[in-house]
Amino acid sequence: MCGIAGFFQKSSGNVAVGHVVLNMLKALACRGPDSAGVALYGAPQAGRVVVRVKLGDHGKFHDVSAQVQNAVQPFGAEGFTETGAYLRFTVADGGEIGACIQAIEAIAPEIEVVSVGRSLEVVKQVGSPANLESAFSISGFNGTHGLGHTRLSTESKVDLSHSQPFWAHGSLDLAIVHNGHITNYHQLRRRYEQRGVRFYTENDSEVVAIYLGEQLNKGAGLREAFAGMMRDLDGSFSCLAATASEMGFIKDPFGLKPLLFAETETFVAVATEEISIRAAIPGSYSVSEAQVKDMRVWRRQG
Amino acid sequence: MSELDATGLSTLDLNSRLRDLALAGTEAIHVRNPGARHNLAVAMLHPGHVRFDGSVGYYCGGLSDGISIEIDGSAGWGLAESMLNGNFRVHGNAGNGAGAAIRGGTVVIEGNAAARLGVSMKGGTIIVAGDCGYMAGFMGQKGTLIVCGNTGEAFADSLYATMCYVGGEIKALGTDAVASAVTGEEAAELETLLTAYLPPEIRATKPPAAQFRKVVAGRKLWNFDKRNWKTWQEAL
Repeated sequence: MCGIAGFFQKSSGNVAVGHVVLNMLKALACRGPDSAGVALYGAPQAGRVVVRVKLGDHGKFHDVSAQVQNAVQPFGAEGFTETGAYLRFTVADGGEIGACIQAIEAIAPEIEVVSVGRSLEVVKQVGSPANLESAFSISGFNGTHGLGHTRLSTESKVDLSHSQPFWAHGSLDLAIVHNGHITNYHQLRRRYEQRGVRFYTENDSEVVAIYLGEQLNKGAGLREAFAGMMRDLDGSFSCLAATASEMGFIKDPFGLKPLLFAETETFVAVATEEISIRAAIPGSYSVSEAQVKDMRVWRRQG
Repeated sequence: MSELDATGLSTLDLNSRLRDLALAGTEAIHVRNPGARHNLAVAMLHPGHVRFDGSVGYYCGGLSDGISIEIDGSAGWGLAESMLNGNFRVHGNAGNGAGAAIRGGTVVIEGNAAARLGVSMKGGTIIVAGDCGYMAGFMGQKGTLIVCGNTGEAFADSLYATMCYVGGEIKALGTDAVASAVTGEEAAELETLLTAYLPPEIRATKPPAAQFRKVVAGRKLWNFDKRNWKTWQEAL
């Protein structure tokens, strides 16, 4: 089991998306206490992208943080903040982001860029959703939409890197959360690795991010990317993905994992269990189970 | 009528109270704030009417015998699963596996049902006013499964002797499922059920009973026959 959640505000303008996603996740905590994380989308920075770096798994991060800050100075990085195992800063939006990431990840294998985006911020950690709030105060985050994940690990180890959401490395603002098993993971991974794609974890869900990222980088929209995923990925998946302006879900052909959604004129909420939506969002609205092979994408205009 | 507020009560406490009330002969029990919680009103073995003032989570009313449950919202996975007898009514939608393996009683879903509706039913009646998802009716052994709207793929796959009726479009029949027109007698029986169980305003929006299609087992999978090897390969 795992629990996934997503909230999307249809109108532009910020809402307390951190608060909503956190409450959705708390109601799903019993589905997996191994790790919890969120991908939150705020107002885009003018001409800059937000970079979030995992400094390590254990020990003191201050020295590592200094090393990373040194490495990114040539790229015009600024606004450094350090919380827990994370360093956050912004760099100019443009061609040098790839080189900046390379410079960071060349420092040590455990140093990993967990998200880069104009709007996206990924925060994840080992432990329950309640711990996520005490460590990172995510309920104070205002934005437009967000994804959440609470994990019961079944096949790969429990640490920060193996936690979800996964940012699709190399694709700005694209993040995914996945509940299920990708059964042709090893085959897909082999093919990607032969083409030089780096895998950061042994978590099968990572391949969903890599796959969708590849499709989006080829120019596909999220809906087209989902259609490809239905064809090319096997196994069970209830999966949510988001970009700076879209959020969508896809459900496998067998309906092996739950996924429910509620849509009103103002918002869309998607979660593994209805309890999650009801706990976070008051009011009167109807909730439906997604059918097999169902895929839906919501896009904010303007 | 007796009222219970689910807020702050553990599921164990809430269910014990529901059982005690039903055992004491309380005819109507109104549960406020169910909050889509799981395992509500499971194993209710005495008659009575429980109304939930909102959505319920997984396995609501599972393993029950004789209770009447009304849900003023939607239901999660495994609604009424394995019930022996009773009456369920969901005003909203139902999740996967609604009415799975029931042996008797009636499950009415006024909205839509998801995947694996009424799989392995061994009796009873399931009526869905809206659509149903993938693999509804799989390996049904007895009873009646009625879907007024459209079905998903693999409808009535590997059926034994459940009678299925569909008012809308059948997206794809499962292995060994055979669809045909309803006879006059069947249409009359179906109309009796629909009139009895669906509110008139919902019944009015659904097709007349004579337009429903009947789906039963082709009986090709009941006994192994190697001449049917291709069918078996598909079924497995």
